[in-house]
Amino acid sequence: MADILTMGMDVGSTTSKCLILRGGKDIAASALIPAGTGTSGPRRALEEALEKAGLKREDMVCVTATGYGRATFPGADYTVSELSCHALGAHALDGEAKTVIDIGGQDAKALCLGPEGKLLRFLMNDKCAAGTGRFLEVMARVLEKDVSDLAEMDALAAGMTPISSTCTVFAESEVISQLAKGADLCDLVKGIHRSVAVRTASLMHRLGVEAPVAMTGGVARNAGVVRALEKELGTPIRVSPLAQLAGALGAAIYGWRKQGERE
Amino acid sequence: MDKVKEMLSELHSVCADPRAQLDAALARGRKAVGVLPYFCPEELVYAAGMLPFGLWGAEMQTSLSGRYYPAFTCSLLHTALEMGLRGQLAGLSAIMVPLCCDSLKCFGPNWKYGVGTVPVIDVAWAQNRKTEAGEEFTRARFRRVLGRLEEISGKTVSDGEIAEAVALYNENRAALRAFSAAAAAHPEAVSPLQRCEAMKAGYFMDRAAHTAKLRALTEALCSLPESPRRGLRIVTTGILADSPALLGILEDAGCTVADDQVAQESGFFRTDTPVTADPVVGLARRLGLAEGCSVLFDPGKERGRELVKLAKAAGADGVLWVMAKFCDPEEFDYVPVRRMLEEAGIPLLAVEYDQQTASFEQARSAIEAFAEMLRG
Ligand code: SF4
Repeated sequence: MADILTMGMDVGSTTSKCLILRGGKDIAASALIPAGTGTSGPRRALEEALEKAGLKREDMVCVTATGYGRATFPGADYTVSELSCHALGAHALDGEAKTVIDIGGQDAKALCLGPEGKLLRFLMNDKCAAGTGRFLEVMARVLEKDVSDLAEMDALAAGMTPISSTCTVFAESEVISQLAKGADLCDLVKGIHRSVAVRTASLMHRLGVEAPVAMTGGVARNAGVVRALEKELGTPIRVSPLAQLAGALGAAIYGWRKQGERE
Repeated sequence: MDKVKEMLSELHSVCADPRAQLDAALARGRKAVGVLPYFCPEELVYAAGMLPFGLWGAEMQTSLSGRYYPAFTCSLLHTALEMGLRGQLAGLSAIMVPLCCDSLKCFGPNWKYGVGTVPVIDVAWAQNRKTEAGEEFTRARFRRVLGRLEEISGKTVSDGEIAEAVALYNENRAALRAFSAAAAAHPEAVSPLQRCEAMKAGYFMDRAAHTAKLRALTEALCSLPESPRRGLRIVTTGILADSPALLGILEDAGCTVADDQVAQESGFFRTDTPVTADPVVGLARRLGLAEGCSVLFDPGKERGRELVKLAKAAGADGVLWVMAKFCDPEEFDYVPVRRMLEEAGIPLLAVEYDQQTASFEQARSAIEAFAEMLRG
């Protein structure tokens, strides 16, 4: 068991993440391709991870698929919901985390963890893009910026232009009208982040927030959102550098545990 | 097993095309009355010789109903109204509309204005349903409903005929309870969707025919060899849990419906109508006895206590709340009932649903995760 290789494949709505785990603990390689389900992203992520590790797919004892496109990923030995995988992955990244917020490309999930990363309760956001990665992408496009610029712009803001609409389409119009009024771009970005934070915090409060709180998923890389959410919740949020890979990591751990059960 | 499959498939066909049942009744010269949920005294329709025809909305897109209802009205009423506006309910001699939630209160006026040709019978009952005065109020209102039904059917209904209809409906309820237990004991033979359809078919068929079918089905199920407990046992709650997609996801996730507290299902069959000298008193009293539905005035939230009891009795692993989108009564119940389940240590998943939902991927993730969580 110590040396067996398991692969976790997180086929998201906008990105594909692949992670190879050795012995259920050590990350042998990982890859992240910004193309999600229904694209070449999953295959490319898998190939890249294998290449980095110098391994072949046959070397994997099992492959576990998770994420929005998990059912369509060919040849998976197991398919597991992204909620269970994020719980396992977040626990592996931060063994103390009791509440996990995962904001991905098109949804947000709040998880409450028990011992050993066991999922005790969870909530998902409504069926719309508000407060998710997609929301930030739409806003970045209106501002003619890349979504990766938003965190830095937030840090440079002197004030904040509040965005009150939670609906993506209405918020887009609101941002456009603020632009027309000559609002400062950085202040606007801060307002956009606050709007995501308010929405996320409401989801978390419905679940019940217990510290320590960790964040996973692509949006966790945006320090502006993390800061806004910390302020909204009144508690620090821990973000691992591998936060975006938490789902794939959890999937690889799941496969490893399954092998353990079989042996 | 083949017999079971055959009967389930017949009941499926009834739900797949309720209009065929209505047409068949009309062709035989029987009048039909549309019955909106909840707790309408259907027995009176039956006693008047007419077919009570359930109106629980349908999975369809709506466009015309938007003239009368805002977008934030539940899909049950949007789609029921849409069917009326599109003429899909032509042939009904009337519809019965209970006045038990804000959106239902507007249904009658909307229908009168938009559909016009099919008269509306308002069904009011006392909020204080457990008091003597409440019962008397409801009795008086039900008598008034009976008067309207007599006008429409052209037939004077005797108390004896009402008592017969009450007995026939109680038999149907008993048959439904027996079927529910048999289905839970044989998950290999009855899928969650088949369970639901077998129950739902009663809203479109003649109740006596439905009882006969259910009895035969239950007998066939009971003659099957005992099946070992398999999969997860779930108790469902909510207004409607009849979505083929949602129930399919539940089945894929290895879940059996062990019992339910769903208005469309056990909301109909859990409580019998008491037999009373004046049978209309019994119909009014049934409302005072019923529990477990968000449209019933329930200040102590008996619904939560009943749900905990049901879940424990069914040996359930968890509760699935199919939350009707834009339904105020359900949303109001959610927090106190959730707390009661939490206190009892019963895991709960709420999945929002409306009959216009096209994509179930988020529900799939949530239900799969719930099943994984329950399996530990
Ligand atoms: S109780 Fe809820 S689902 Fe039923 S008619 Fe009223 S709002 Fe609609």
